[in-house]
Parts: sequence; C-alpha cells; structure tokens
Amino acid sequence: MEEREVTFIVKRFYRNEWREDRYEFKAVRGMTVLDGLFHIRDNIDPSLSFRASCRMGICGSCGMVINGKAMLACSTQIFDLGTDVVRIEPLRNMEALKDLISDFDDFFEKHRRVKPYLIRKEEKSIEEGEYIQTPDELRKYRQYSLCIKCGLCYDACSITGSNKEYLGPAALASACRFIMDSRDQGEDERIPLVSDHTGCWRCHFMAECSEVCPKEVDPADAIQKLKRKALIYSLKRLFRR
Amino acid sequence: MLVSVKDSISSWFRIEGRGISGYAFIIHRLTGIVLTAYIFLHLAFLTSLTEGESAYTSLIEKTVNIRFLPFDILLIGVTIYHSLNGLRLVIAEFFVTRYHRELFVIFIIVGVVIWIFTSYLLYRFVVV
Repeated sequence: MEEREVTFIVKRFYRNEWREDRYEFKAVRGMTVLDGLFHIRDNIDPSLSFRASCRMGICGSCGMVINGKAMLACSTQIFDLGTDVVRIEPLRNMEALKDLISDFDDFFEKHRRVKPYLIRKEEKSIEEGEYIQTPDELRKYRQYSLCIKCGLCYDACSITGSNKEYLGPAALASACRFIMDSRDQGEDERIPLVSDHTGCWRCHFMAECSEVCPKEVDPADAIQKLKRKALIYSLKRLFRR
Repeated sequence: MLVSVKDSISSWFRIEGRGISGYAFIIHRLTGIVLTAYIFLHLAFLTSLTEGESAYTSLIEKTVNIRFLPFDILLIGVTIYHSLNGLRLVIAEFFVTRYHRELFVIFIIVGVVIWIFTSYLLYRFVVV
C-alpha cells in the first residue's frame, strides 16, 4: 500500500492563546484528514481536541479549515490534497473553544431565529391525515433540506466574518427550505425575519457558501430565491395598503 | 459579539481557498475602494473651478497627457470591472442564479473588449 510522510500543522487554541503544532507521520492511501487527526491523538499527542462523530460525511461534526478551505475532515483524503503539508485550523467566523473545536451557539441561535419548522394557520388533527405533497412540490425545496449544519458555509462567508448580526447562509437556506415548502403557511412570519438588515439583503452573492457545501445544498441559490420572495412579498404588501 | 475593523476587512480579502465568485467579490471590493478614492480626487479637481478658468485649465493640461495615460487606462479598467460585475450580480441574483460563474466569464470577455476599445479611444484623444 502506498505510504507517504506527511506533516500536519494544527492551529490550536487553549486558554485564550493560539499556537501551531507540527506532527509528522506516515499516511497511507485512503486515509482521511480525520483519520490523520485520530492517529495523532492516539499515537503522538493525546491532548489534541477536535469534534467527530459519524466519520462518513453525514453528521457535520468535523468541519474545519484544511489548507485554507472549509471542509469536512472525514470526507477529505490526505493524498487528494496534492501536498504533504496539511495545515488545519478551526472554523473561522466562530469563537474557538479548544483546538479545532468551534463554538456553534451563535450558528444554531440564528438557525432557531428563522423558525425552521412548518408553520400552519390551522393545524390538522392526526385523524384528519397528513399534509399531502406532490413529488414536484417536494423537489422545489428538497435540495435545501439536505443541510447537515456543519458550519462550512458560515466559515466561507465573508459577510458573516464582517457582520456578526448577519444570519448566515445555513440559516437563510433553512428559511428558504420552509418558505418553499407547499405545506408551510408561515410566510407572513418568516419573510419579515429574513429580509431585515440581518437577512438576505446582506448577502453580496460571493457564493463561497455553495463552493464549500459538502452536500451541494447551494445556500447562495437559496438566498437569492429569498431575495426574490422578499421583493414580491414587499410589493404585494405595498399594493395591499 | 463585535468584530474588529481589521478582522472585518481581512475577511473580505481572504484569498486562500476561494472560488471564482470569491475572487470576483474581492476584486469588486478593491475596485470599489479605488473608485471611491477617485471620486474624492475628481471632486477636488472640480473645486479648482472656483479659483477661475485658468487654474482649472492648467490642472487639465497637467493631467491629460501621455504620462497619465496608463493611470487613465487603469481607471477605465477598474470602472468597467466594477460596473459589469455589479450588473452581473443583479442579473444573477434575480434571474439566472445558477449560471453566475458562466456569467462572470462572459462579462469578463465583454469587459476586456470594451476596455481595449475605450483605451484606444482615450489614446487617440490624448496622443493623436
């Protein structure tokens, strides 16, 4: 099996101080960056901290910045990076807690703020049956429902980096997911939330969120849809008066 | 949580790991800063009119010549990029979001053609 000496340079945070540690080890073909981090923790430095869970790109726990780009460590093979020096940092635009672990509180708080659930004007009882939806209606929002909340888009977005009030790509994509859902009736509640000064109009459409999204959710596309929805909603309200 | 001005601005110009739209955004910000600075310079030029026609004419004679031509050509390039990329963003945001990368390539080609043509016109105006 192909083996290669690789160097991991890990930007670490501990007790309000940043430092960089270098780790050298033999990587084998097929080894992911996450495998490399586990190797370091198990064999070289047990104090290294990072988040991981499913190890197969589903849970979204192992998002980190690898050679300058936000990626899932479990879905990134070391040999595919095209270099023997791998630089790893925690996600930017979030507070670091320890080493590669970032604080997601702000991220999830913004997600909660857009009301990521179906809003009905009148709820059906269980006896009345489910809310029926056609495959075409499902297709309109399905892509946006694939978000795993890994925070990579939040890292890649320069606007999030410069304006902490901005809701960010993940929360806005989630809002779009529910606004596009034919079963949802919460337009009057949700559109004002996502079209104020912290919402979709803050997006300058650099589309980096979509570039880094491991699930191809395309949050940039969702945010532009929100802009159109918000514009139509505002025009309707204007003429209704 | 407040963001420092340094962190805020550095997040705009982070180049590592960016895609084509990321670079487009960075150049858009840079050209925007250049154009803002130029507007102030332009207004300062115009205020020379308050000192009479001769003051303005002598300023124009100093600046509209072959030595300043490269700067004028660069300024045209900056203006073309900023305006066309702004137009691309409006089109992409409201009409063809998924094709924003293709739009960027098309607008760059169109921009370069306009830049070469306007630079030639400017050259003729200043030199010929």
